[in-house]
Amino acid sequence: MSNLPRRAFLGFGALTAAGVSGLLTACSSSSDGGGDDAGATLRAAFAGGGSSETLNYFVGPTALDFVRARLVHAPLGAIDAGQPDGVSYGILESIEISDDLTSYILRLRDSVTFTDGSPVTASDLLHSLRAPDELEGLPFTRLVGRSFDLASARKLDRRTLRLPTAQPIADGRLLLCQSMLVIKDGTTEFTPKTPSCGPFVIEAFEPGQQTVLRRNPDYFGDDVNLDEIHLLSIGDAEARVNALREGQADFVSGVSPFNARDLAKTRGLTVRAGEPPYVSNLRFEMNLSHAPFKDERVRRAFRLAVDRQAIVDTVYFGRAEIGNDVPALGFPSYDTGLEQRSYDPDEAKALLREAGHEGMSIELTAGPELTGMVETATLIVENLRAIGVKASLNELPAGQLFADYEAYQRLPFAAGYNPSAPFEANHTPGTFPDVDKLVATARSAPAESDREAASHKAQGLLWEKGNEIIPVFVPTVDAHTDKVSGVRSLQFPDLSAVELASA
Amino acid sequence: MIRFGLTRGVTAAAMMLLLSAVLFFSTEALPGDAAGVVAGADATESERAEIRKRLGLDEPAVARYVTWLGDALTGDLGRSSAAGRPVAEVLASRFGNSVVLVGLAVAGIAVLATTFGLVAGLRAGRLGDRLLSSMTVTLIALPEFLLATGLVVALAHQGGMFPAVSIFPPGDSPWQHPDMLVLPVTGLVLGGLGVATRLVRAAVVSVAESPAIEQARLDGESGVRLAWSYVLPAAAAPGIQGLAVMAAGLLGGSLVVETLFNYPGVGSELARAVTYRDAAMVQGLGLALAGSALLILFVGDLLAGLLNVRSRPASWRRAERGAP
Amino acid sequence: MTRAILGRLLTAALLLTMLVALAGPWLPLPSPTERVGVPFEPASWSRPFGTDVLGRDALARTVHGGRTLVLQALAATALGSIVGLVVGTCAGLARGGPLKGVLRVVDGLAAVPPLLITLLIAAGRPGSDFAVLVAVTLVSLPFSVRVIGAATARLAGLAYVRTALARGDGRFAVIRHDVLPNIASEAWAEAGLRFIAATQLCATAGFLGLGAPAPAANWGRLVRENAVGAGAQPWPVLAPALLLVVLALGMTLTADRLTSPVRRPRNERNTAP
Repeated sequence: MSNLPRRAFLGFGALTAAGVSGLLTACSSSSDGGGDDAGATLRAAFAGGGSSETLNYFVGPTALDFVRARLVHAPLGAIDAGQPDGVSYGILESIEISDDLTSYILRLRDSVTFTDGSPVTASDLLHSLRAPDELEGLPFTRLVGRSFDLASARKLDRRTLRLPTAQPIADGRLLLCQSMLVIKDGTTEFTPKTPSCGPFVIEAFEPGQQTVLRRNPDYFGDDVNLDEIHLLSIGDAEARVNALREGQADFVSGVSPFNARDLAKTRGLTVRAGEPPYVSNLRFEMNLSHAPFKDERVRRAFRLAVDRQAIVDTVYFGRAEIGNDVPALGFPSYDTGLEQRSYDPDEAKALLREAGHEGMSIELTAGPELTGMVETATLIVENLRAIGVKASLNELPAGQLFADYEAYQRLPFAAGYNPSAPFEANHTPGTFPDVDKLVATARSAPAESDREAASHKAQGLLWEKGNEIIPVFVPTVDAHTDKVSGVRSLQFPDLSAVELASA
Repeated sequence: MIRFGLTRGVTAAAMMLLLSAVLFFSTEALPGDAAGVVAGADATESERAEIRKRLGLDEPAVARYVTWLGDALTGDLGRSSAAGRPVAEVLASRFGNSVVLVGLAVAGIAVLATTFGLVAGLRAGRLGDRLLSSMTVTLIALPEFLLATGLVVALAHQGGMFPAVSIFPPGDSPWQHPDMLVLPVTGLVLGGLGVATRLVRAAVVSVAESPAIEQARLDGESGVRLAWSYVLPAAAAPGIQGLAVMAAGLLGGSLVVETLFNYPGVGSELARAVTYRDAAMVQGLGLALAGSALLILFVGDLLAGLLNVRSRPASWRRAERGAP
Repeated sequence: MTRAILGRLLTAALLLTMLVALAGPWLPLPSPTERVGVPFEPASWSRPFGTDVLGRDALARTVHGGRTLVLQALAATALGSIVGLVVGTCAGLARGGPLKGVLRVVDGLAAVPPLLITLLIAAGRPGSDFAVLVAVTLVSLPFSVRVIGAATARLAGLAYVRTALARGDGRFAVIRHDVLPNIASEAWAEAGLRFIAATQLCATAGFLGLGAPAPAANWGRLVRENAVGAGAQPWPVLAPALLLVVLALGMTLTADRLTSPVRRPRNERNTAP
């Protein structure tokens, strides 16, 4: 009896010691990675979406779902202002447009196969274009279906498809190459085994935690250098940066501006920001059904009151582009000739006084849906107070800004954003009829010069009297170790051509 | 004792029913719905209505509650409105992780709190006690998020020996990567240790004043032996109840730690579901959490009851009858 | 002796913190929302805590960050304590029946993770401090009822209370004259503990971005906002963190002092039934 307690305590000690040594061995064994280290493995961390992540990228709500899909399913192409067509082609060889802008001829590369060995044909291409509508995809995946008459599409031969448009459009190439991927005809469900034809195949998938991708040996492209990509889901921005600092990841996406500045100074790490047109526009919408905003002078006053340079400097530490209240910076049709809106609080004050809305009150609603959105909103509220507006900020927690969309649309003054997309095709009609008409012309006029003139005129009108303040364009900021190269900034980072230098 | 167990069991079941209703209807009351979140900002009105119909959000709430409860009893918790994954599947993968995390943390708290509580309680008022008590009080005063943020900040700028972020390869359980558990468990242990130590100390102090311990002291027992064989058994009942309450709270309340260290537990999943109006997920996870919390408390009560019966049978039975 | 001094110092610090929290917004400081410099400027004479993540005065933000938090916690504690006293004493005196059932239900409520309740209620009314208040009250209520109920039940077994009840005194009269005076210190101590829990929960809500909307500063939110720059400029994080800790420490010790002297007299009266 008398020995029992001591033995028990010793037992405890031994157990603890075993635990600690177990921990240490586990540490050392796990740090040298996956084992069969024949080739290069990239570990890339994204915000992810917890267990809501899915392989069905039509309904997957997070950027990671699309990044993953783009590595597994070959894209039709990518928007690329440097190319004569405005796009660079992926699995497509070419897109030809009829002179009257009413039909598009899509031609696939020759002898491309899916992972199950079957060739990629025009039927697969057609299914890929129709799938977003048939599988009830999210609105952003249905951009093509809104502008083309997919029901009347016709296969010309094994690898050629003729696609009539709903109305004549000139910007169909951009739409087709913005985010369309190719899947096998008949695919309605997505599992790791689903046949695909992209640069990588899925080896394992655990939603909210990790996806293991292995190189597809039969991929048609020749710019794949990695053997494996591990896509890590790390929700918290700080945790992501810590993973990079601690060597648990080679690449992290969605770095906060302050961290970006900090990481840029860290040896062995590189920070990169997307370049226009791959920037999101951060917009603040003045609701025209709110009485004071019916007056053009009030709208102009609000736009003049915003100190854009201060936003770029303080919120984004220089990693953002100044906006000019017109969307789609960096796309070929963006009107660079428009005068840059100045910061002129005195003029703003005078305009408000003239309109009789001196000292008006307004509540700005924002949420952390885009890097720096809340911070920018905070500064705008201060800017507005400086011109005598009784402005206040209503900050919503993450995910709630668009949660009640009807309520969102009724807000008098609300923040929002659009990911990189061409202006004309993404224009929402209904606010200014004259702008709508010009946009229609900008999409359908037979001569390119007429289209550009109409587009510039529409942008000019929006600049003059529009109801959006677009103070900045925000790039996605990524950071990676110096060993990583070849990341492409598209709408989301594209990792397919990444190279890893050996240590 | 059996009657006691039965009444507690029935109460817990009734409680469960009540909680399920509260959970279901409070999630119903959230403004907006998943349709708005899922559809995104560029959706048209008809696209929005279509998503709403697909998610079954156009039926009356009571009908949906009855259906949901019936399904839940058969293990079907519905599907996440975000990506259509079955809630039960998510629960299965996340719940185990949380149990590992909380289990380790509670074990750590139990061992440390018992040691510190015994040392402090048996030396009440002396230097060791005062030092330990100051430590406890400080720990209580530090909210969990401060402790965890402190750990993270220290890590980011000193470079730690343990991974800052939990990354488990697909199919692996946290057990296989103990190094990644160190920081989240430490965060939870530090967060709960203060309260637990205080509780054990209080129990020990009151036991130490009892005649039985006086007698043992007079018989020459002291130190570790006195603590282990006499004080601990008598102080165990309130200690176990306290730990049960703590474990129940931690199971769903480790959200902060899970977020900061990217630990794939239930808490962060629940927070995500609430944010994105994923009603099925909130209801399913909430139900599981509330259920396991009730279960833990029930087991804690039973254990404490058993210990009490053994140590003080007469007074226990009197208390159980509820009348003098 | 030193302990007493330390205790007194902490009580003084507690009072000071409460004062800063409640009266802070009236101090002649720069606006807590106005940008005065670049982000994370180091501390200087004119800005003792430097600037925060958006280049706002960190001192001003810290000083403004306490009022709502403390008021929320105070209100939640008061509400919880009042309901806890009423329900707890009634249930504690009851011998079975529906009131004992109330205790069981309350026990069950305690089983729901506090953060779940807070998340649900706060998500229902985004950006509302009132929602956080309601959530925190609901979370603390079961514990108040439990403790008060248990304390009352102990008294209910005592001779004088039984005599009073047998005499035919009204239940509320018994509660007022025989129960409340004897559980007062326990009730105060319990309220103290609830207050600590409430401040921490409110701060955690702020940390998670649940309560007050952006430019308004809650100490918990300040920690989260500025943690990113803590390595470069610790004050915007440390200052609110320290205030939270002082608030909790001071309150714990004060609650301790309320309970410790009481134990002896109660033991004396504790005659076995």
